[in-house]
Amino acid sequence: MKYTTTMPRAIAPLTLIAALLCGSAAVAQDRLEVWSRSGPQAAATYQAVFDAFTAKTGIQVEYLATVEFETQLRARAASRDLPDVLIYDQSSMAGYANEGMILPVDRAALVGADDLSDASWDSVRMANGDYYGVPFSQHAQVTFVRRDWREALGFDVPTTHEELIALATAFATGDPDGNGVNGDTYGMAVPGTTDRGFFAWWLSSYMMQRGGSFVEGAEGKYTVTVNSVESVAAVEWIQSLFCGTPSLVQPGALTNASATPFFAEGHAGIYQTGPYAIANFDNAPGADKYEIIIAPAGPGGASTLTERTSIYLGATSTMPDAQKALAEFLISPEGQEIGMTAPGQPVVRLPVNTTLDGAAIYGDDRWRVVEAQLADSQLMPSDIDFTAARLEIAEGFQAMFAQCAPVGPALDNLALAISDALADQDALQ
Amino acid sequence: MSDLTGATRQSPAPSTPARARRGRPQSQWWTVWVFLMPALLLFLYFKFIPMFAGIEMSFQQVRPFLGNLWVGWDNYARVVTDPRFHSAISNTILLGVGQSVGAVLGGLLLALLLEGPSRVLWFIRTAAFLPVVTATAVVGEIWRIIFFPAPNGFLNSVIGLFGMGPLRYLEDPAIAIYSVMAVGIWQNAPYYMVIFLAGLAGVDRSLYEAAAIDGAKLRHRLLYVTLPALRPAMMIVMVLAAVRCLRVFTDVWVLTGGGPAGATEVWMTRIYSLGFERNQIGLAAAASILLLITSVVLTMLAVYLTRARRVK
Repeated sequence: MKYTTTMPRAIAPLTLIAALLCGSAAVAQDRLEVWSRSGPQAAATYQAVFDAFTAKTGIQVEYLATVEFETQLRARAASRDLPDVLIYDQSSMAGYANEGMILPVDRAALVGADDLSDASWDSVRMANGDYYGVPFSQHAQVTFVRRDWREALGFDVPTTHEELIALATAFATGDPDGNGVNGDTYGMAVPGTTDRGFFAWWLSSYMMQRGGSFVEGAEGKYTVTVNSVESVAAVEWIQSLFCGTPSLVQPGALTNASATPFFAEGHAGIYQTGPYAIANFDNAPGADKYEIIIAPAGPGGASTLTERTSIYLGATSTMPDAQKALAEFLISPEGQEIGMTAPGQPVVRLPVNTTLDGAAIYGDDRWRVVEAQLADSQLMPSDIDFTAARLEIAEGFQAMFAQCAPVGPALDNLALAISDALADQDALQ
Repeated sequence: MSDLTGATRQSPAPSTPARARRGRPQSQWWTVWVFLMPALLLFLYFKFIPMFAGIEMSFQQVRPFLGNLWVGWDNYARVVTDPRFHSAISNTILLGVGQSVGAVLGGLLLALLLEGPSRVLWFIRTAAFLPVVTATAVVGEIWRIIFFPAPNGFLNSVIGLFGMGPLRYLEDPAIAIYSVMAVGIWQNAPYYMVIFLAGLAGVDRSLYEAAAIDGAKLRHRLLYVTLPALRPAMMIVMVLAAVRCLRVFTDVWVLTGGGPAGATEVWMTRIYSLGFERNQIGLAAAASILLLITSVVLTMLAVYLTRARRVK
């Protein structure tokens, strides 16, 4: 008799587990799930944008900010339950679109679409002509220089590569921080990590400025140019930053996940990165200590990399109207402005909405420099999935600069690897 | 089962309470399964089903939204012929063997030095064990600081005292793997130390006394008393090290990310990169299954060798 009472008790945990495993699917969705790849500061700004959206439309938003965006998204893709809206790098659009994870966007049906420039819309157009994203934020990489160091050593703002090298060499060998020790500071802070192919982004600006390129083409068809005569010369110049004497980059650059601390903590004096770093650098080293300049020009000009953030609509969403409403709010003057000014970190770096004046909203003339640089900047191919090629580039360049060997043969191998990556998706011209 | 219960009922002397308690679990054979069931269910859901899904995916081109394509042995062929996998496998073996041997020897040395009942030793043992319980990500960051490649970096200042030049520990493709190895040894040795300490505690003290009476020196006692007595502990440690070395990932990932120039790329980092960076889940699954098979074979080999020795 005793058993009949104790056994159900033993089974109870099982029922509980079974309920946990199977029970969650039945809950009806009433909130729009939105993801972005953001740290805590940017997440606070996004939250302010979504709060305003909810106040305006009554649509509740469930927001997740993660820096492990790709990995978490893959996990959700495997369970065929994607977030409703994704806000992420432009560079990921083609990959998601090819896999059917995001939905095409009807540009004409989107309220406010005409306030966005054609250049913005071009960036979210796939090779087949369909739009798979809504532009949200844009900027170009700019050059951060420690003004106090530069002035202490008596240099002008560098406008050419020769002047840039001279300044970096002075930072690396002299005593710009005035601590009485020569050579304990470094010239340039470089993010040389291959994680997500990050190094390729930093490299692309200097490649352009030296007249080289990774690939060339448009409309979904590209030729590999990384081993052309111009590119080889460009790579040799960049390699000399790493392998020359003195080395102009910070030690450990090639395995560094982030070069930001080197600039922020006063170890390196020149850093080419996006203006999202402004908020950090105003804290340290301090807004009065550094300046933002247009990239010093090389033989190929002063172009840098355009970076864009776009809005994507998850393919499994059951709330298409709410998806569209959020996208419309995010590109509206109101949404864009909150994204620039809410406490935290600007998630709209420069507005894609052409009715807005970014620098005026910030009340900060440094953003005029970013605007000017944006006008002279180029996007990496985004109408094809460039991820595999970007990883090959980052890994190939890291190997070349770690070994300090002649770059010619290595670039030929890299060209083959990029060709394979492009041929896999029929994007080779 | 009915026989058994029948027998108890028919027994002339009614069973004592103690006997009845002992008899009941035997009569309810399924009780065991009920108690095992929660663990089995969790294993089924979180281990076995994903494993079989992994095996299935290794034969597919994985496209979550467009439907997976069956590609047969294609993924395996690509993995086996990929030169980067070859270098990853040789790096795994180099790193695994180096780390295992280093950590086992280091653990043995630590155990011999730190054996004994003294309170001070207890404190030092705890301190020595800290690397094992520290998160590998934290360990990686600490060692990145120690390895800082400038002349005034921590380790470079130390070796500078001996007139050695600054080294680029994690950046020089020729030495990066040895730097990672050193960190692995530093982190794993205390773990093996604990196993050896347990083994040492079991050594019969009278053997030492007998050896001392016979005039054995320290090295003799070590060779002929301590080490033979440690053989069971040694076996456990060897099997653990062999199995662990194949799945080395976190220390490599936080220290170098597999770079520079693929010099520290190991089996697991290659799988991660293929699966999560390049999104070639099918290829990554095939590589994982190969890793699983290799691990199983190695473990069976280790178990077989241990048994063969015990039989002798």
